[in-house]
Amino acid sequence: MTAQPLLTIRALRAAYGKIEALKGVDLDINRGEIVALIGANGAGKSTLMMTVFGKPRARSGQIIFDSRDITDVPTHEIARLRIAQSPEGRRIFPRMSVAENLQMGADATDSSEADRATALERVFTLFPRLKERMTQRGGTLSGGEQQMLAIGRALMSRPRLLMLDEPSLGLAPLIARQIFDAIRTLNRQDGLTVLIVEQNANHALRLAHRGYVMVNGLITLKGTGSELLQRPEIRAAYLEGGRRA
Amino acid sequence: MSAPAPEPAAASSGLNAAYIFKKSLISALVALVLFSLMIGIRTEAGPTGQLVYWTRFGDLALMVAGVFGGSILIELLRRWWGPVTVTRVVPASVQTGLALARRAIAPLLLIFTVLVPVIFYDQRYILDLGILVLTYVMLGWGLNVVVGLAGLLDLGYVAFYAVGAYSYALLATNFGLSFWICLPLAGILAALWGVMLGFPVLRLRGDYLAIVTLAFGEIIRLVIINWQSLTGGPNGVSGIPRPTLFGIPLTPGDNGLAAKLGIEFSPTHRIVFLFYLILGLALLTNWVTIRLRRLPIGRAWEALREDEVACRALGINTTTTKLTAFATGAMFGGFAGAFFATRQGFISPESFTFQESALVLAIVVLGGMGSQLGVALAALTMIGGFELFRGLDQYRMLVFGFAMVLLMIWRPRGLIGHRAPTVFLKHSHAISSDLVKEGHG
Repeated sequence: MTAQPLLTIRALRAAYGKIEALKGVDLDINRGEIVALIGANGAGKSTLMMTVFGKPRARSGQIIFDSRDITDVPTHEIARLRIAQSPEGRRIFPRMSVAENLQMGADATDSSEADRATALERVFTLFPRLKERMTQRGGTLSGGEQQMLAIGRALMSRPRLLMLDEPSLGLAPLIARQIFDAIRTLNRQDGLTVLIVEQNANHALRLAHRGYVMVNGLITLKGTGSELLQRPEIRAAYLEGGRRA
Repeated sequence: MSAPAPEPAAASSGLNAAYIFKKSLISALVALVLFSLMIGIRTEAGPTGQLVYWTRFGDLALMVAGVFGGSILIELLRRWWGPVTVTRVVPASVQTGLALARRAIAPLLLIFTVLVPVIFYDQRYILDLGILVLTYVMLGWGLNVVVGLAGLLDLGYVAFYAVGAYSYALLATNFGLSFWICLPLAGILAALWGVMLGFPVLRLRGDYLAIVTLAFGEIIRLVIINWQSLTGGPNGVSGIPRPTLFGIPLTPGDNGLAAKLGIEFSPTHRIVFLFYLILGLALLTNWVTIRLRRLPIGRAWEALREDEVACRALGINTTTTKLTAFATGAMFGGFAGAFFATRQGFISPESFTFQESALVLAIVVLGGMGSQLGVALAALTMIGGFELFRGLDQYRMLVFGFAMVLLMIWRPRGLIGHRAPTVFLKHSHAISSDLVKEGHG
């Protein structure tokens, strides 16, 4: 009767060589939900996101997407299931034009021309700035525009799950807010499911329906966004005490 | 109190004069140190074997003064023609003219190339040189797929050239297969070797990739030298059949092309035929590359060059992307190799040394990585220039190296350093290389 989560992670472990980055993580993302994953540097947030994508491979545990076990599925196959990610540091293609960057997002999935056109239209209504800069090189965009491009590129595959790694990294607060607004719009209007990994806990938890707190490769706290925002330990660790928020 | 403040421009020009003077003085000092022994003292062996020397301080002074004056002049020229004012010096009308000329250069070059055998019909030397240049244009375009588009630094490209050449030579001499059957076979075999090289180097990047590909090129050459029973070892393969025009040989006999057309036989016919053959092959390479660039696979190659991590994040299969790049580049190398074998009629391992790989790579880099026209121009300059300076004997390499250094100073991204986008809304814009961030290989 209860709807199955879109993504289920159970007892997930992953390591870089001998250094264990994930030590048994459980996490659920329901359809149409924004889930925030917060934590300090090196807590394993990005690793969790990458492991869902199969790089690095999970040592043990399970990742289930839409009732299919994707723990051992090759990375490019996972992308075909229409899970998209915008990696940390944006990583757009600097010498390619904005239009080419966007097309790259659709290339890995079997998108028809019509699908591409629809997705492109959606990206342009969301980020009109990108349309103005269609022929410009990715490397000549400002930081905020590059982030828009990175998200737009991920949206080109018309994802069912969008994973964003630190979308506010290195952006002016005003631009960061625009990015968060766009994510909210996508969630409300398109019903897009979003996993957002952030150090900017204040913004992320306000945006998210639910949040997870990660410390040293383990989930230590979970709850709704507003619940977590109220927790004194969260306030002490991530919102006050000199951390930018 | 009322003394006028010095104008900023005057102040800066005063500063400039002092700066230029200082810089020139340093240059002169360096010149003095360098030339005092090289020019200041002349030594020679005397009649009985003893050392005879005399001083030439006059020449030395002249030289140092020349360096001093020259460096002032160069510095002043740089001020006037510096990058800031360059747009003002060149009038707008000239600039648009230049832009037009730039767009016209590719078609004009193509038309000229097609007409070369007509214009220079009697000049065998020019025709041979043209064939040589076109061979390198084709090799450059082939390597451009691997190095320029996919960003995989390949120092062993000559291996595929060798595989293509030996494939044709051995198939033709042992089994009597015709050139037109062997050509695709040579390409396929080379592509196969490209994939074989690709697999072990999938995880390597940059310097490490370069080392392994370099070794691969050497391995192929050494195998060819040592596998005497198959390849004839250092003696090579001789008596490789000449290509036919779809079965009609270009020979003086009764069934030759000349006899069939009812014209008098001339050995030049074969040269002209070879010229158009390599031109066709090169244009095929170019056409395929341009087509591929507009397809997702070509886009994936370029994205791979830009950022491999991002490619993986987008779900691009980096394995197949790299392997197809290696295979495509190798295939064109194989075609060029088969052509080389049929043109020469004789091949030996000496034709496939590392120097060839380096030359082709230099063509790609000088041309501007990824630029088709740039590669063609670079091949023309390098191979043609090589011949042009033949009269300079041993100074040829010196001139050549000097030209290369200058080119890398003034056009560090190659002759044509911009890349035209392949996805458009309305029309294309070429964006100057100056606006483009340095890529990482």
